[in-house]
Amino acid sequence: MNMITLAIDGQKVTVPESTTIWQAARQLGIEIPTLCHAPDMNPAGVCRMCVVDVRERALAASCVRECQHGMDVATSSPDLERHRRVLTQLLLAEHPTPCAREETTKDCQLEQLGRRYGLIDPGGVEADSLTPTAARAAARPSDLSSPVIAVDHRACILCDRCIRACNDIQSNEVIGRTGKGHASRIAFDLDQPMGESSCVSCGECASACPTGALTHKPITLPIVPRDALTSVDTICPYCGVGCAVTYHCQDDQIVFAEGRDSRVNRGRLCVKGRYGWDYTSHPQRLTTPLIRREEYYPKGPLSDEVRSSLRKDRSRPGGIVDYQQVMSAFREASWDEAIELVGRRLKEILARHGGSALAGFGSAKCSNEEAYLFQKLIRAGLGTNNVDHCTRLCHASSVAALMETIGSGAVTNVFADVARAEVALVTGSNTPANHPVAATFMKEAAKRHTDLILVDVRRNALADFAKHFAQIRPGTDVAFYNGVMHVLIRDSLIDRDFVANRTEGFDALEQLVLSDYAPRRASSICGVSEEQIVAIAHTIGRARSMMIFWGMGISQHTTGTDNARCLISLCLLTGNVGRPGTGLHPLRGQNNVQGASDAGLIPIVYPDYQSVSQSGNREKFERAWGRPLDPAPGLTVVEIMDGALERSIRGMIIMGENPFLSDPNSNKVRQALAALDFLVVHDIFLTETAEFADVVLPAASFFEKRGTYTNTDRRVQLGRRVLPPPGDAREDWKILCDVGRSIGLAMDYESASDVFDEFAKLTNNYRGLSHDNLGSTGKLWPCPDPRTGDGTQILFGERFPTPNGKGKLVPCPYQPANELPDAQYSFILSTGRLLAHWHTGTMTRRSRALSEIEPGPFAALHPADLAELGVSDGARIRVSSRRGSIELAARADRSIDRGVIFIPFHFREAAANVLTTDALDPYGKIPEFKFCAVRVERV
Amino acid sequence: MKILRELTRLQHELGYLEDATLRQVAERMRVPLYRIEGLVSFYPMFRRTPPPRLHVNVCRDICCRMARDPNASAPLLDQLRTRDDIEIREVSCLGRCDAAPALAINGTPVAPRTMHDLQEVLPCVEQPASLSNEPNEKTRRWKCDPYADASQRYGTVRSLVEAGTVAATCIERLEQSRLRGMGGAGFPTGRKWELVFQETATPKYVICNADESEPGTFKDRVILDELPHLVIEGMLLAGLTVGAERGIVFLRHEYGREHQALQRALQQARAAGVLGPNAANSDQAFDIEVFVSPGGYILGEETALLEALEDKRGEPRHKPPYPGTHGLWGQPTLINNVETFALATSILHHGATWWEQQSEGDFSGLKFVSISGDVVHPGVHEIPLGTTVRELIRLAGGMPDGESLKAFLPGGASSNFLTAAHADTPLDFDRMQQAGSMLGTGAVIVLSERRDLFDMATSLVRFFRNESCGKCLPCRLGTEQATEILQCIQAGNASSEQLQFVEALNDTLQQTSICGLGQVALNPLLSLLKHFPDDVPQ
Repeated sequence: MNMITLAIDGQKVTVPESTTIWQAARQLGIEIPTLCHAPDMNPAGVCRMCVVDVRERALAASCVRECQHGMDVATSSPDLERHRRVLTQLLLAEHPTPCAREETTKDCQLEQLGRRYGLIDPGGVEADSLTPTAARAAARPSDLSSPVIAVDHRACILCDRCIRACNDIQSNEVIGRTGKGHASRIAFDLDQPMGESSCVSCGECASACPTGALTHKPITLPIVPRDALTSVDTICPYCGVGCAVTYHCQDDQIVFAEGRDSRVNRGRLCVKGRYGWDYTSHPQRLTTPLIRREEYYPKGPLSDEVRSSLRKDRSRPGGIVDYQQVMSAFREASWDEAIELVGRRLKEILARHGGSALAGFGSAKCSNEEAYLFQKLIRAGLGTNNVDHCTRLCHASSVAALMETIGSGAVTNVFADVARAEVALVTGSNTPANHPVAATFMKEAAKRHTDLILVDVRRNALADFAKHFAQIRPGTDVAFYNGVMHVLIRDSLIDRDFVANRTEGFDALEQLVLSDYAPRRASSICGVSEEQIVAIAHTIGRARSMMIFWGMGISQHTTGTDNARCLISLCLLTGNVGRPGTGLHPLRGQNNVQGASDAGLIPIVYPDYQSVSQSGNREKFERAWGRPLDPAPGLTVVEIMDGALERSIRGMIIMGENPFLSDPNSNKVRQALAALDFLVVHDIFLTETAEFADVVLPAASFFEKRGTYTNTDRRVQLGRRVLPPPGDAREDWKILCDVGRSIGLAMDYESASDVFDEFAKLTNNYRGLSHDNLGSTGKLWPCPDPRTGDGTQILFGERFPTPNGKGKLVPCPYQPANELPDAQYSFILSTGRLLAHWHTGTMTRRSRALSEIEPGPFAALHPADLAELGVSDGARIRVSSRRGSIELAARADRSIDRGVIFIPFHFREAAANVLTTDALDPYGKIPEFKFCAVRVERV
Repeated sequence: MKILRELTRLQHELGYLEDATLRQVAERMRVPLYRIEGLVSFYPMFRRTPPPRLHVNVCRDICCRMARDPNASAPLLDQLRTRDDIEIREVSCLGRCDAAPALAINGTPVAPRTMHDLQEVLPCVEQPASLSNEPNEKTRRWKCDPYADASQRYGTVRSLVEAGTVAATCIERLEQSRLRGMGGAGFPTGRKWELVFQETATPKYVICNADESEPGTFKDRVILDELPHLVIEGMLLAGLTVGAERGIVFLRHEYGREHQALQRALQQARAAGVLGPNAANSDQAFDIEVFVSPGGYILGEETALLEALEDKRGEPRHKPPYPGTHGLWGQPTLINNVETFALATSILHHGATWWEQQSEGDFSGLKFVSISGDVVHPGVHEIPLGTTVRELIRLAGGMPDGESLKAFLPGGASSNFLTAAHADTPLDFDRMQQAGSMLGTGAVIVLSERRDLFDMATSLVRFFRNESCGKCLPCRLGTEQATEILQCIQAGNASSEQLQFVEALNDTLQQTSICGLGQVALNPLLSLLKHFPDDVPQ
């Protein structure tokens, strides 16, 4: 790189070519004032506040002007200050002083400059002299249509920071300038009100705005300056991306959130992370243990929505549970009484039916420490391996395939490395909705030089950035990828050396895809044209690096494991593992689904994937826990529910999960839960599942406890306590210790940190990590040098952790989905999530902003299908499968193919899982949420 | 070019662009909506509401303002506004200063004799007949045209190609001639060609800036109409010199008639094999397309023009880098003005010595000037450089009876006012600069004793305010603030601080604006304060 030497304010400085004067000055500790520039943005050079003297005819904007050899720059002089003062004066003449930012966080950068230049007196009053434009500026409108962001065009200085935040940083492409000259304004889409535009409410614009033009609307308490608040650096509670966040609090409430710089999110957040945390102070929080009243036996559902999916009375608007309907079934109890009852009932079942009649669902929303303790309680305390959690419902098939083929279930590279990938294949993932911040990095890469390939049933927002978008028929992924592999092998576009040295099983795979999956046949199954299959294969085959990202669209099928095997084969055939810009990345859903799996919330493995069937492992954990352990593998989620129905499972502990809404075939789950002899639930709200509980224990929320969480990248991060728990609510790990003691398992820990140390010592991958060395941005596992290193970003550069070190290519013939459409049930139902909501809605529907953005259930169909059904956009429809019916609003959606219907599963008043099938993938035991046959009718 | 051309096509086809149309364009072309919004709201060619039967654009700038009595024209416009089928919009200079007062009816330029007599105006509005370039003397000979008849056209390029010395000869002759750019900035043409010639990146582009829009400027219109082949040949020579295969004429949309003339000439050039895959037998492809500007004075600024060609808002870029190295789509790009290309052909035909001989004394070469304002025959003249302003006024038929010279602008709206005492200053780049103004585009606006110079200066500042793109703060807010202060002064309620602030503002605009528009926006006003302080209302 060429270096350039210049002088700034008389000081010599040497910088790399293409460094701007502003950056070079900063290196010298010289801060040049600016309004339109920020270090993480491409310079716009429009406010001209940063002008410097470079001894030319006119001044130069230092944020855009690049350094040149021998330049002699003055950043400050009476003339420069005079010009900056005039510019400030021009802006203040149209500025409502104090503006909304100054009145909240008190950091309007224009007003700061106004004070610096004596244009605003210390009392905050503008020293006004020449403001004939003020009247006209005052007529500029404000726009309060967004639920989360207030727009005041009077305070807008047209610095274009929001435009760059929206378009460059988040790649949402909503904000631009409208009009010309003095009439220019920022605008959303075609100058729509912000709330009616395609804005996804990520709030990046309001965070970037230097004035009161775009400000965050208050969520709880009024927003005040940061120094009047308590600030805690932690992470976001929602998805597997694990964004770093700072929460600012007052009076036991979060007041606002800000993205924090880290390798994960570089300060970016999405709507949930930025605005969706007020659930934690919702009045429905559980604050005291509850015991079911005698008169509410035999057990059954309590609320209307849980009793029946078709409400008789449609006048009620739906929404969160009506506590009046459910709370009367419970009486308040002390912790001692509740824990004693739990211990007694568990011991009774244990004595009468044995450990195998008990089971536990842990949670991927709880910490590593809690996941570890939960499985320890079930295994060591109850003597069974019947412990599972919602990973079963999301990536169980991916993990099964990964373990089988490359010997490890985690990602081989972090998502941000997409920036170095020549090709990124995103498949079965609505990343912009479900991993929004990860999607910003994908879009950013696609805008630079990464060829993005999107293969999905629905056209999501990534399609606009993609080189290829293949809209695949639901459930036909195997045929499509076999077709792609056919072309790769046929056209000699595979990495022969890699295949020879690092893999096994090529011949069988080659045999299968060459003989059976020519593009024509693949195309006839998956609906993607032959030409596109060939083009996609060529794009992949010609690239020197590719990353593959996938989500539930791959895994939630009865062929989920086959789907994942195909992606792994594609990656191995092209040699795309173990190098920069390559890798396999199943995008993890929950904030701690990686960690909960690592910690052993899986019926067949102890922590760190140590098989329960291997006696050596069992002995190791028996020694560590001082208890005999069951050698038999446990049951998975759906098997446990089946067991409850068959009465082979009698008692359950459910920590922070809501299977009534999240598991397939809710009508069956309802019967199963009601059939249990004993159910204890710990949660932060009285969930649909808790309606069936004998004992409900009030848990602390994410914000009220300390613990570690492992994100989709394998990054172990510390979640710090932001607020105290309400009432008598307790951290889940403490509840687990209480329950453990009540059944005679000694579980005494001083802190979550001690639990972590015990867990880490029993693993290879977490060894060496501790709460103390995770720092503010965490570490990737494995981390050979936790004191100084950030952990291992790219895995398997040399060999795979399989017995012979090779990756396995597993040929998979195409098999159709379990329940195909027919004359009676002619639509294909696919379920999934929305950007504004989270899983069963327990948290997000109790968030003011999020529930305002997406208040209720709907079913998305292609407008042509709606027209054929005679249903108008927004009208009510009934959707029925062989398992049940729900009623909800229809929404016209061009992103979906004809014959397919998409229903988000967040909404209890129209629970999508009433419809879904509980047919399972034979390896991953994951249900087929993405495919069942339904009928759609007008109501 | 794709998006703006599509929007232009739809604008012509549908008469306006409603949101549904724009959404379709966005989806079809895979462009985010905000970009479409940015374009249709920025460029005056587009409208969002259904048009009336007659939309009347009335030029509000200096020459037309001089040509109409505001007290009489305002009631007339109000009267027209009462009609449901007529929409009146005041717009910036239409480039018809020689026919002032000018209007455009549904895009067709017309020029009623006055703007206060409805009987005169109404027929023009109801049945607009396009203006010719008065005085239209198609048979007139221009000194710079080296060809006696059509058969000789393109002889220069043909002989240079045959000699195999296009690049070397062109650069050498242009440098010897010391020809300077005629678009306003006066950059040496030979050096510009050489700079782009030396760039190694390909492809390269040649662009003809035919977007003259500064009040008082209309010379390129006449050149395009009467000498289109000289412009085409100049572009071709440039393309062969720098190694570009694609030429683009960026033409202001008000020049419909000239567009047709140019297209006819391009057809002829293609038919003659001068343009095409083997342009003039050079073994190199070169062809020229016309891009019709969606409107706005700012697009005359060459980097704003490039932004428009790239389907962006026409907002000037930061410089450096300059278009010669980073031009259209980041590639080396040669941009010259219409007149520059025409004169280059002439110089390359005759050689530098001939060029020097075209004027006397210290001056060399020819210049097209537009003269307007208080003269009997406003129009375009091809003069030897160094001709005095007094002589030019004489060529334009002198001043109307009984009127005497008070002031003039030698180089369009952005040049400083000069007084009658400067009437004998030769029209020349250096001499005008020495006199405290500039030759600029060569648009001489003549003002007689009866003119209210303060009102004229206000009109000029308002023009820059109206045409500011709004990208940078000083120009966007400074021109607005200055306009407001001038109105206060006119109304007699300005404070002395405000008047002082105008001077501070001028300084800041000059020093901190991104482009020339902002840098010069207050020039006329400041020169007024200097030369004609008595004209400022007290």
